[in-house]
Amino acid sequence: MPIDEDAGRLTRLRAGVALVRTMMRLHPRQFTIAVAGASLFALCTVASSAVLRRVVDRVIVPRFEDGDVAGGTTIAALSLVVAVGVMRAAAVVVRRVWATMGVFLVSETLSTDVVDRLVVQPLPWHARRADGDLVARAGVDVDAAVAVLAPVPFAIGTVVLLAVSGIWLIVVDPVLGLVAVAVFPVLFAVNLVYERKVAHHYDEAQDHLGRFSAWVHESFEGVQLVKAFGAERRESERLATVAGSLRDARVKAIRIRALFETLLEVIPSLATVALVSVGAMRLQAGAVTVGELSSVVFLFSLLVFPLRIIGYALAELPHSAAGWQRVRDVVDEPIVADPVDAIAAPGADIALSLVDVEFGFTDTPVLHAATISVGRSRFVAVVGATGAGKTTLAELSVGLVAPRHGVVEVDPDDVLIVFQEAFLFSGTLRHNLSLGLSLSDEELWHALSLAAADDFARRLPDGLDTVVGERGVSLSGGQRQRVALARAIVRRPALLVLDDVTSALDPATESTVLANLRDALGGMTVLMVASRPSTIALADEVVFLTGGTIAAHGTHGELMRTQPEYRGLVEAFEADRERVEEPA
Amino acid sequence: MTARFSTPATLTATRTIGRGLEAAPILRDGLAVTWLLAAIGAGGRVVVPILVQQIIDKAIIGQGDVRMGLVGTFAAIAVAAIAIAGVAQRQAMVRLGTRSEQALYDLRGRLIRHIHQLSLHDHSEEHRGALVSRVTSDIETLTQFFAWGGLAWLINGTLIVVVAGVMIAYDWVLALVAFAVAAPLVIVLRLVQRRLVEAYGEARERNSDMLAGVSELVSGAETVRAYGAGPSIATTTKGLVKERRRANVRTGVIGAFLFPSGEVFSALTVAAVVGVGVARGPGSGVTAGAMVGFVFLTYRFLEPVAEFTEVLEQTQTAVAGLRRIIGILDVPVGPPPPADPVPLPEGALALDIADVTFAYPARGEDVLEQPVLRDVSVHIPAGQHVALVGATGSGKTTLGRLVARFADPTEGEIRLGGVPLPLVDNDELRTRLVVVGQEPFLFDESIAINVGFARPGSSLDDIDAVIRRLDLDDWVASLPDGIDTRVGERGEQLSAGERQLVALLRADLAGSDVLVLDEATSSVDALTEVRTSRALDHLARGRTTISIAHRLSTAARADRVLVVDAGRVVQDGTHAELLRDEDGVYGRLYEAWVAATATDGAPDSGSVDVDTEWQRSVDSDDPAVH
Repeated sequence: MPIDEDAGRLTRLRAGVALVRTMMRLHPRQFTIAVAGASLFALCTVASSAVLRRVVDRVIVPRFEDGDVAGGTTIAALSLVVAVGVMRAAAVVVRRVWATMGVFLVSETLSTDVVDRLVVQPLPWHARRADGDLVARAGVDVDAAVAVLAPVPFAIGTVVLLAVSGIWLIVVDPVLGLVAVAVFPVLFAVNLVYERKVAHHYDEAQDHLGRFSAWVHESFEGVQLVKAFGAERRESERLATVAGSLRDARVKAIRIRALFETLLEVIPSLATVALVSVGAMRLQAGAVTVGELSSVVFLFSLLVFPLRIIGYALAELPHSAAGWQRVRDVVDEPIVADPVDAIAAPGADIALSLVDVEFGFTDTPVLHAATISVGRSRFVAVVGATGAGKTTLAELSVGLVAPRHGVVEVDPDDVLIVFQEAFLFSGTLRHNLSLGLSLSDEELWHALSLAAADDFARRLPDGLDTVVGERGVSLSGGQRQRVALARAIVRRPALLVLDDVTSALDPATESTVLANLRDALGGMTVLMVASRPSTIALADEVVFLTGGTIAAHGTHGELMRTQPEYRGLVEAFEADRERVEEPA
Repeated sequence: MTARFSTPATLTATRTIGRGLEAAPILRDGLAVTWLLAAIGAGGRVVVPILVQQIIDKAIIGQGDVRMGLVGTFAAIAVAAIAIAGVAQRQAMVRLGTRSEQALYDLRGRLIRHIHQLSLHDHSEEHRGALVSRVTSDIETLTQFFAWGGLAWLINGTLIVVVAGVMIAYDWVLALVAFAVAAPLVIVLRLVQRRLVEAYGEARERNSDMLAGVSELVSGAETVRAYGAGPSIATTTKGLVKERRRANVRTGVIGAFLFPSGEVFSALTVAAVVGVGVARGPGSGVTAGAMVGFVFLTYRFLEPVAEFTEVLEQTQTAVAGLRRIIGILDVPVGPPPPADPVPLPEGALALDIADVTFAYPARGEDVLEQPVLRDVSVHIPAGQHVALVGATGSGKTTLGRLVARFADPTEGEIRLGGVPLPLVDNDELRTRLVVVGQEPFLFDESIAINVGFARPGSSLDDIDAVIRRLDLDDWVASLPDGIDTRVGERGEQLSAGERQLVALLRADLAGSDVLVLDEATSSVDALTEVRTSRALDHLARGRTTISIAHRLSTAARADRVLVVDAGRVVQDGTHAELLRDEDGVYGRLYEAWVAATATDGAPDSGSVDVDTEWQRSVDSDDPAVH
């Protein structure tokens, strides 16, 4: 099997090289300059060895063995030492500066591509993916993808370095040169074996770390439960088992690493001893000078570290390829059809019409055979038990999801929904209300007052420009909900869909807001998912859902008379109250 | 993150490391031996320069005239020395690695235990991210440090000392020349490195800004879509991506000058040493071999200095991480455990709340906010069901928390069965008193496992028994997989009301004598609501029960109602008694609630007058309704 395995590795290596090239081509200028810097560094490194030979043969040996050396020779040789040193340093600066620019430009390009997709893909696409996963695609996955790029210019420079050095060493002395060059493949092989052996343990450790983080998060999130049942010790022990696996995997990796780091230190040292011994023989034979021997030993010592860089770059490859793949998954995925596109405008006097609509993710539809027609300016309550399909009906009505069967008719440009969970962006109150539209203060305040949010908004330290959310003033659930309502109201949609929005408000505020919607915004149609009897009482008509279908549509009074199930649901509150009042 | 969780900047790096060693004492174990091994390992790196020097000075008499026997002896000694140094270095690395991993394991455990004991106030949602990252990413900075930086400090630190020692042994004058020329490098590095740390901090911030931006775009996808905010949000987020790139490139550019500065100083130092050595000549006792050896040693001397600059950033990050970890360990734990616990009496327990005042600590300061509770005194006999009623912010939830000893009163005392709460052992308190929170937390497991959490080792039969006892078999049967239904992350497959049903089952399984229930505020569908009340009736029977009631039906069923208003108990009596006082707080709250739950269509709307003031106002506001 080793042949197959090697072939597989070769394929992966080819794919890796192709990946690096694809990414570098996104910003080729930066990487070209960086590679040029790295190559200059390689040349300077060989030059520094040549300079050392000159210093030893023309300055040190004459002075200490023969007694004297010309001042000019010394100064010239030492100037070369400094000049080559400065050049080497400059080459490093060039390589690092442009490599950094290249890497982060590529990462910017990839992140931007992901962001563009996230914005364009419609809700059904988002619904199938975990939030954290999508954020990771634009963040850590991009970081992982570009991680391989950072050492690439240096690695390419190293290849140049090895080629030039190999030639130079053989030119200086073929025997010494061959001894030195023979060690390169050995070192390279040790590097590869090491990276491969250790990678498995690091991957395992990474998995444990992921699990540990998730468990810690869960444990702290449920801290009240943990405290309430005195389960602190139990929880600590549970977490300690993962932490223990993490530690064990890492200790294994450390043991391997300690061995290989030592080998990578010892092998070149032993090789140097061999070089010096063989060099002494060559000196004996008169084939080399002391300076040449010194320069060979010196150059060899400079090659050891760069050689490792190739190992690092290769070790990063699988990790980067995985990150790249996850980024491409999002970026290359075709844009899912926007449900809104399938919606047709309804007839005159009709705000919303659903004909034989079915929706669901599995064989069992969440909503089926739904047919309703809502006239303009009507207030319609959608009532049903948990899981009856109320939210689905709301989302279908605004084109956030598409029915898999049937027709939805609504004016897609003139319908808005306010969600059960109000989502506020971090930023100012103004930003949250306008979301990119330019709206006057007057309009914003008017909308806030209709949503009964003006009282607390006026008390905010900077009014409309107060930063709300995580980094600013934290608003209560009811306040957030009213801001979300104002955000919808300010746009004056013809049809407003409220998904159990007002339940976060107290009954008095709720009635005020609903009355405002009716009075101040004449002609607005409201479709509201409701559970409180008092809310239902404010509606002109009621759509009653049960088991994923529309069981009845009529006035509250009609439904109370004709639908026992509806009556049971609405009266449950009262029944509950009556039950306690009987003995009183 | 609030100031409470950041450590005073006064904690210096040295002090931070000192505190870190106190927190993880295993790091100190055998540190001297590790150091010694590292020093021997570092010795391996000067073998080659010494070998070159010895051979040039002693074995090479001239071109074509080399004492090969001596070369063989030197080479053999060198090989032995390198082998010994290699073994020592490996040992040093393994010792440091295993000890540091054990230390981090211990530290993780310690942090988790400590964080679990912090008061609930410190566990607010806005702190959670910070708390989680203390145990995960902040500890990871230490892992990274030990794996790379720590090793570099250990090996390179000793290497510099060893190399300097060899240089001085060769010739102290040349050694001093080398040190003097190389010294300014340290200043240059410090200057650059300080800017690098700033730039690095900036880059981290821009990075988290970007992640926050993307995260918002994703979690707010519904709103973004529904409000056509895509283009505007995309522009903002791409701006954040660009800012992040700029900050990162800036950091990279500063870093690009750090490493090569060592290169320049190496060249300068070699030139200076050779210049001075050549000027002084053989008369000074220096040999040609020592000169060449010096050249090698100078590079070896400055190499680790340059490497240090690479690990300094990592070190700074690790120290910052450690500082944050210590910051958490310094946050006092919630109510302290009793030194000398007093056992609770057997059977049902009475509860005494005596002159209790409570104020939360102000954000980031050592002062208290305005009290949320003032001079509350109540006696609750054993077995009584008491409902706490009041508007949002009245202090009723806080009172519940104090009874559960999630915090201790600022003034006054709470006694359970006659024993002051601070004297009750925590484990005993948690078996005798159970709290059902407003937003009960559920693990991403089955209903059975979630209920079973309340009593480790309970069987499925035990769980079935409590389900029947609380009259919830019909609910469980209505779930897709019954008792084995997985509830999803945080129980998101269930409604808020259903999550609370699970919590009630837990409370019953725990079999405690006292129950503190904080009712869910979010809207609950009617059927679940009825089930909740039914279950609570069963649960309260024979237990001292405190319900923080958001639905007045719960209050109406309780034996007694306490009305909390602005931190004081303003009314105390049965539901019927309190209703007689129409102008009382309770009367008004009750009216509003009745109005919200009444249906005009109901044939018999009960004994309470639904035609309340609130309802009338709706009608008059909007004649279109009814």
